[in-house]
Amino acid sequence: MGNSKDRIKLNVGGRIFETTSTTLANAGRDSFFGALFDDEWNLSPPKEDLFIDRNPDCFAVLLDLLRTGDLNVPANIPERLLHREASFYGLLHHVRTSKWGPFDGNRLRLSDSVKGIAPGDGTAVRAGPDGGCCVAHGSVVHVFDWMLEEHCPINLDYQRVNDVGWIDSDNIVLSACEKLGRGDGGMGLFSSSTGDLRYKFQVCHENQVKSYTAGALSFNQDYKIFSSCKGRSNEYGIGVWDQITGKQTDFFYESPGWSLGDADKLQWLNGMNCLLVATLFPRKDNCYISLLDFRDKNMVWSWSDIGSPMAIDEKRVRDAIAMEDSNSICVVNEFEDLGFIDLRMYGGSVRWSSRSRLMKSKMPDEPCYPKLALHEGQLFSSMNDSISVFCGPDWVLTSRLRRSYGGSICDFSIGGDRLFALHSEENVFDVWETPPSPII
Amino acid sequence: MSNQKKRNFQIEAFKHRVVVDPKYADKTWQILERAIHQIYNQDASGLSFEELYRNAYNMVLHKFGEKLYTGFIATMTGHLKEKAKMVESAQGGAFLEELNNKWNEHNKALEMIRDILMYMDRTYIESSKKPHVHPMGLILWKDNVVHSPKIDKRLLNTLLDLVHKERVGEVIDRGLVRNVTKMFMDLGEAVYQEDFEKPFLEASSEFYKVESQQFIQACDCGDYLKKAEKRLTEEIDRVGHYLDGKSEAKITSVVEREMIANHMHRLVHMENSGLVNMLLNDNYEDLGRMYNLFRRVTNGLATVRDVMTSHLREMGKQLVTDPEKSKDPVEFVQRLLDERDKYDKIITTAFGNDKTFQNALNSSFEYFINLNARSPEFISLFVDDKLRKGLKGIADVDVEVILDKVMMLFRYLQEKDVFEKYYKQHVAKRLLSGKTVSDDAERSLIVKLKTECGYQFTSKLEGMFTDMKTSEDTMRGFYNSHPELSEGPTLIVQVLTTGSWPTQPAVLCNLPAEVSVLCEKFRSYYLGTHTGRRLSWQTNMGTADIKAVFGKGQKHELNVSTFQMCVLMLFNNSDRLSYKEIEQATEIPAPELKRCLQSLACVKGKNVIKKEPMSKDIGEDDLFVVNDKFTSKFYKVKIGTVVAQKETEPEKQETRQRVEEDRKPQIEAAIVRIMKSRKILDHNNIIAEVTKQLQPRFLANPTEIKKRIESLIERDFLERDNTDRKLYRYLA
Repeated sequence: MGNSKDRIKLNVGGRIFETTSTTLANAGRDSFFGALFDDEWNLSPPKEDLFIDRNPDCFAVLLDLLRTGDLNVPANIPERLLHREASFYGLLHHVRTSKWGPFDGNRLRLSDSVKGIAPGDGTAVRAGPDGGCCVAHGSVVHVFDWMLEEHCPINLDYQRVNDVGWIDSDNIVLSACEKLGRGDGGMGLFSSSTGDLRYKFQVCHENQVKSYTAGALSFNQDYKIFSSCKGRSNEYGIGVWDQITGKQTDFFYESPGWSLGDADKLQWLNGMNCLLVATLFPRKDNCYISLLDFRDKNMVWSWSDIGSPMAIDEKRVRDAIAMEDSNSICVVNEFEDLGFIDLRMYGGSVRWSSRSRLMKSKMPDEPCYPKLALHEGQLFSSMNDSISVFCGPDWVLTSRLRRSYGGSICDFSIGGDRLFALHSEENVFDVWETPPSPII
Repeated sequence: MSNQKKRNFQIEAFKHRVVVDPKYADKTWQILERAIHQIYNQDASGLSFEELYRNAYNMVLHKFGEKLYTGFIATMTGHLKEKAKMVESAQGGAFLEELNNKWNEHNKALEMIRDILMYMDRTYIESSKKPHVHPMGLILWKDNVVHSPKIDKRLLNTLLDLVHKERVGEVIDRGLVRNVTKMFMDLGEAVYQEDFEKPFLEASSEFYKVESQQFIQACDCGDYLKKAEKRLTEEIDRVGHYLDGKSEAKITSVVEREMIANHMHRLVHMENSGLVNMLLNDNYEDLGRMYNLFRRVTNGLATVRDVMTSHLREMGKQLVTDPEKSKDPVEFVQRLLDERDKYDKIITTAFGNDKTFQNALNSSFEYFINLNARSPEFISLFVDDKLRKGLKGIADVDVEVILDKVMMLFRYLQEKDVFEKYYKQHVAKRLLSGKTVSDDAERSLIVKLKTECGYQFTSKLEGMFTDMKTSEDTMRGFYNSHPELSEGPTLIVQVLTTGSWPTQPAVLCNLPAEVSVLCEKFRSYYLGTHTGRRLSWQTNMGTADIKAVFGKGQKHELNVSTFQMCVLMLFNNSDRLSYKEIEQATEIPAPELKRCLQSLACVKGKNVIKKEPMSKDIGEDDLFVVNDKFTSKFYKVKIGTVVAQKETEPEKQETRQRVEEDRKPQIEAAIVRIMKSRKILDHNNIIAEVTKQLQPRFLANPTEIKKRIESLIERDFLERDNTDRKLYRYLA
């Protein structure tokens, strides 16, 4: 039945496909099919069927994707081939969005493990906004797109990388140690697709350009880049750059007896309009957490464990993350005990919720310090070879992601609806995804 | 030969990517280039999209993206240069038409070219950060056509010329203009603004500068405003038809500036047709237009308001200071009310009930009403007049309206306590003479005064009404306890609480024996029921109804004052009395007696007694006889007392003095209240605060406040600071 005008016969690489223009319209105007059936291109009616000189097997898969929205790739079709064909038709975006569903920490499945050839321990893994990721190893950052294909690795004068971050799906910022006297290192902006250095950020102190070591990074939606900076002559603090002009716009100098320039972690807090800066053990002997308001150059909140009784020495804060919704900062110690500090009070103490002391006995040979992440009300904490997911107002443990291969997890990151976990051994990272929503 | 062979054996460097045909890229590009030509020549029917797309795709895939990109730009540029020539050669009116056609063709072609190059757009351009195909096509059009030297200015001038033609009344092809301005917008907001909007606004400004100059010389204010309004709507209309919506604010501001702001003062002050004339003639339509137009420009409304205010003040000043016009208080107040109504209507109908104009109206009235010191008295007299007779036959609702308007005037008064003084006197007179038309109206006004000025202001007035009510009850009780009194003269007593009523010196007189007996009975009854009270008779305020029989048996009932009654009763015993005899018998003070006799003997038609000799004034040696020949159409004859409606000069002084006297304790109370809370205050601040606190009642005089402060210091309520003599200290 159906409207015969709507029926379309295609000859793809010698195989005949019959479909409807409605199905092909799902591809959108900005695709091969969108243009193919535009009136401008059909001034004379097609002779019999439209020939397309492409692979028919892949077309069958993609046609089903347009028909049902589901992607089902037979084992005999390599992913790369399918992606290549999807790219020809302008359907890559369709393929990407059908591969995995919206992120939910309690429904994650391991979808892939990528092994690399980098020597030594990984420094950081960062998820990109569209499902790609980048992994820092020593002085090089490896960049993967959402198809997990590796692009050109990036480096900044081959200096040791301290942190990386995605500004958008095509721009990566890298922070690295300075090389004394050479002006090498610092911070650079790279193209994720080509690996080209697009811009190198500079630090000025009293109108003089100085070399510096860039540490932890953070970005905000006002197109600002924040980085902890260490200069050669005690120019420690937090630098601020504009993403559009590339110019340094501000510098928050570290005050004596406090730590900003060595910070391990920066986090921009949208609602409070300030930056969380955390310097943690063992980088320094003590932990310093502060909130900086750059509008009036003011440290609006701070916490430190200086002078805490030694009895709780074992509970050193190893990572911290601000949770604006509950007005608190979550911290974690090396036993994966979560602690909370109230952001509304100045000089409050950590309220530990000691869950598991059992871990103490079965510490692996090469322990990794725990890391924290927050995603839409779900709190993630990595410990050794697993990642725990906590939910609800009381942060109940709801899921645990574990895979025995690759040793402890040294860093993990959530973005583009994926979770990437970087292991300390074997240079391997795991990709966790939420499967597409069920059929019914 | 051998040489050549040797070379053939050389090992070639390993090629990373082997392209089968070295001319592959050129060949493929030629296919695509030909297709672009065909698309531009509108000959695309033979083209296969699939083939072209595949070719472009392959070029990008084999790293010829750069070649493809530059090739497409070069080809398109070539075509656009050709199109530009064709547009240039179009003559006259066809120019715009041709430009628009070519623009449409280009858009269509661009769309198709983008389709072919879609893969390049998505991959090569994306990663090389170059402009995408579609925006690039627009840039090329702008650079090669719109900005070509022979089109650039010509296009702008053609457009401006068309707009000008439309402004002077010609019909133009709006659709075409819209298409062209739309083209500018498609090329980007900056292009539209720079290439069209800015020059358009400049030309408009010039046009309206000239036109407004012509108009202002030829037209009166009303006509000018009509024309300006028309121009404004025309421009808004124009934006709707063929300009970008964002231009509306800009072009209207040009018209506003050139046609209104620059001529604002001249328009407002235009002789015989400016604002004052419109106000005088109640020209609501023109006033409304002026308001709506002037509202659009900075200081426009302020200008209108200032002129209105100064006109109002001038007019009001003349109104209240003209001695001719303040002769009749009722008319005086009526005139004020009329003026207020007039301007109120202007503000509500023409000025959109603008609060700032209402405020200006109020402040103007406040200004000039207080220029005349008698305004409080006159307003009270106006109310008196209305409540005595004016309200007869008027519906309750209308009564409320009148009272509300009076309250409006009352609010303007600075010396509210003076008003209170007069009002009390007038109420007293109304109540005692039973002249009140409507009890409800009286009460309603008191309620209004109460809400306006507080309980204090009206407590005494309310006391007066209570007295009237209790008196009625007392009388009923008196006659019930003395049933024998139903025969003979009836006495109606109103017991007035001292303090509530305006004090008047008790003028005593000898009452006729019949009355005096009754009075004594009442006194003993009243004092018998209430202990600790004192009664004194206010004979000067009473009235009496007496029956009289004249010479030929004419019977009349005379309504007279108590004094008059005393005089007339004397004639029951003798036919002829001299002034001296009357004075002795009644003991009425001379001025009162004279007034009383005057009204009995000298008023035509009411002269119940005759005077010898006949004259207007009463002499000490005059003789009085009953006028036997008295006639009247009515059975009841009311003999009025010659009373001054308006206060005489000495009376006025007296009232004034009483008001000043009453203010003293109020000022003192205010000082003490303030000092009690502030403990220490300097002179200037205390004056300011006292003035502020007393404002609702009257405007306190600073010298008077100073006197009161000194008096309080004498009485040890305050002391001066020892070091700073300007500081006062409160002594608890």
